[in-house]
Formats: sequence, structure tokens, C-alpha cells
Amino acid sequence: MEKQIGFTVRRIVVAGVLSAIAILLGFTRWGYIPVPTPAGNATIMHIPVIIGSIMEGWPVGTVIGFIFGLSSFVGADVPFFKDPLVSVLPRLFIGIVSWLVFVGIRRWNVYAAIGVAGFMGSATNTILVLGMAVLRGYLAFGPALVTAVANGLPEAIVSVLITLAVVSAWMRIDRKGRRSKLDVD
Amino acid sequence: MAGDFELTRNITIGQYLPTGSVIHRMDPRLKLLAAALWILSISLCHTYLGNVAGLCVCLALFALARIPLSYGLSGLKPAIPFILILAILQLLFYGNGYGPSGQVYFHWGILRITSASVRVVVVSTLRFVEIIFAVSVLTLSTSITELTHGVEGLLRPLGRMKVPVHAFALIVTIAVRFVPTFAMEMEKMMKAQASRGAEFGTGSWWNIARRTRDVFPLIIPLFNTALVRAEELALAMEARGYVPGQARTAYRRYRAGGRDIVMFLAGMALSAALVFAPFPF
Repeated sequence: MEKQIGFTVRRIVVAGVLSAIAILLGFTRWGYIPVPTPAGNATIMHIPVIIGSIMEGWPVGTVIGFIFGLSSFVGADVPFFKDPLVSVLPRLFIGIVSWLVFVGIRRWNVYAAIGVAGFMGSATNTILVLGMAVLRGYLAFGPALVTAVANGLPEAIVSVLITLAVVSAWMRIDRKGRRSKLDVD
Repeated sequence: MAGDFELTRNITIGQYLPTGSVIHRMDPRLKLLAAALWILSISLCHTYLGNVAGLCVCLALFALARIPLSYGLSGLKPAIPFILILAILQLLFYGNGYGPSGQVYFHWGILRITSASVRVVVVSTLRFVEIIFAVSVLTLSTSITELTHGVEGLLRPLGRMKVPVHAFALIVTIAVRFVPTFAMEMEKMMKAQASRGAEFGTGSWWNIARRTRDVFPLIIPLFNTALVRAEELALAMEARGYVPGQARTAYRRYRAGGRDIVMFLAGMALSAALVFAPFPF
């Protein structure tokens, strides 16, 4: 099949399915780990965004990021997440950053590229969300920096582990040629 | 403990309950728009009284849609422990985070409970309940097909600017459609892991590392089964001749009638009232 630009069936479906995971994690609250910092929650809900953009490119990541942003805006219990400039806008960049990082490093080592993309995607989430909260005057710089380290670092580590596990497992399935065959179980 | 596994029963999003009420028969585009405005205005409402009023409207919506309230409550159930933990953490530590705002009720060491932190806790809990109720009514009264048409219809103006509206509508539909499926999948995996001796929800809430590690054996297989399903779905859609970006016709066409417009205006008025009315406290 020739290379298609824009949204192929595959990209639409992967974006939909990963958004479903983001929504599920938000609704069952499995995606939040409550911690006593000003942000209130450490989150793993940005991981579908990173996985989507590594697998299918930044447009998929951006759409999932948008849906993740919306669900965090709607479900927010911390005042500054009720501002779409804090909860939705920064999330659009998670996919773009992790895709750029992945594509940049891929040629040297695919696994390192996945790991670093997972880390940078998570860091993008932390830095842009908190940066925006500071810019909009919800947080002072000091507490924001503490939150970035206390929340962001564990989030980034968890993100690297999950992204690496999921994407490498997927690529292994891929390589066995099980993709798009009728015998998929 | 057994209750922890009942994810599917408690997730109302993505289910459809046909009762044929006025809300069910409303034009999906207007219904979606009205729901979005309503949720937005709940999100912006900061007063106690406003949120109580919002809750009453949400309860009235259940009656109007002839959906038993138990459906809304069951959507709420899995969230309760998290809401409680969050509320306690917020109550204890927020007084510091937001500086000396409001009256101090209690102060001991780093713990400081102020009127501002009590407000954050009560309002955010009420808000969460209201939004869960509103979303439950929306999804229980709107079938997936209607939802796609609604999203697509609302976004159509963007299509002129070469934004892939149809693709986006389809992504939203797939996402909503798969939430209950994945909830079921997750339930199955929790049971499978528990039968091998894994313990969920037994780690103390302050033990963040443990709670995070608990999530791993669920999240990773969840992603993998999701991606396998995505492959199957893509294949099924291609086999049925789905071509993205192609002009498509719909089996049913929606026309907003007078009743739809009246209901939409009523919804808009309620939303505006919630945001702009001067609630005393």
C-alpha cells in the first residue's frame, strides 16, 4: 500500500482506541495517583498520547492530547486546571515533542528513542502545564518548581517504563508479521 | 474487595438506555452543544449555592430523560474513594498552597484549614458529581450513531478550513464506544492478576511507590490488547470499504425542529444563569 498522508484508517482507529484508554483512566481515577503537592495528582494519563505519537505520528498524538486535555479540564478538581489554557493547550504539544524526539533518535537506537520520547513527552506535560500555571498567575515559581520535581520526575520515570514496555511489545508483534493478518487472536 | 473488580457495572459512559423521552429525541447537535455549555458553566461556577442549584438541575435531567438515578449513582461509585482521599489531602494541605486567603479555622504545624480550602474541597466534590451526572445523562440518552452525527455536524464549519472533521468525529466515536469494552477488559485482567496472587488496593494510600507499581501489570496489558483490537477494527473497516476523507452520505438526516430549539434555548439560559447569577455564597 502506498504511503498515505493525513488520517488513514489505522491512524483514526489507533487514535480512537488510545483516547478511550485516556478517558477510562480518567473516569475510573486509575490514571491519577494522589500526592500532596499543589498539583494534587501525579498522572499517567499522558502516556496514551506519547504512545500514539510514537506509533502513528504527531497528528494522532495531538488528537489524543486534545481529548486528554478536555477530560482533565472537565474532571479537574484543582482550580488552575479549570483554565483551558492550562489544561488543554499544553497537552497538544506532548505528542509533537515526543514524536520529534523519537524521530530524531530513532536512527541510532530505536529502544533509546522510545525511552527518551517517553521521558520528554512527560517532561513536556509537566513543564508546559506548570509553566502555564505560573504565567497565568495560579502558582508562584517556587512551589511550581517543587511540584515539577516531586510530581514530574516520578511521572517521567513511570512514563518511560510503560511507553517502553508497550511500544517494544507492539513492535515485536509487528515484526512477527501478525499485523493485519486474519489469524490475529 | 470483590467490589473493586466491578468496573463494567460502574462505568456508565458509552452505554445507551432507550426510553424515548424528550431528551432522547432531541436533535443530537443541539443536545451536544447544550451539554457542552452546561458542563462548561458547571466548571466555572465557584459558589456553594450555585453548585447545589447545578446538582438539582442535573437530578431534574435524569427525571426528564426518564433514566433511573441509579445509573448516575453507579457511575459515581468507583470514583468515591479517590474523591475522599483527594478531599482529605486538599483539606489538609491547601491552606498553605494558596496563602493566607480567607478565615483560618484550624492551624497546627503545616496543617492549615481555611475557608478557602474548605470551599475548594466542597465545590470540587459537588462539581465532580454534577459533571458525572450530566455526562451520564448525555451518553445514556444518545446512541453512538447520533453522537457521531452530532460531533460531525457541530464541527462542519471547520471542514472548510481543511480540518479533518469526519476523522475527528470518528475518533471521538471510537473512543466513547471502546470505554466500556476496555473497562471489561481491565476487569478481566484484574481478576486474572488477583487469581495469581496480586493484590490491588491493599497498598496504603500514602505508599505512592507501591500504588504506582500496582498499576503496571494492568496498564501494560491494557495497552497491548487495545492495540490488537485497533488492528482488528482497522482491518474490519477496510474490509467494508471504508475510505477516510471520502464524501459519505448518512442513513438518517437530522433536522432541528422548533422543540429542539426551545430546549436548546432553555439549556443555554440555565447555563448562563449558573455562571452569571449572583449567588450569595
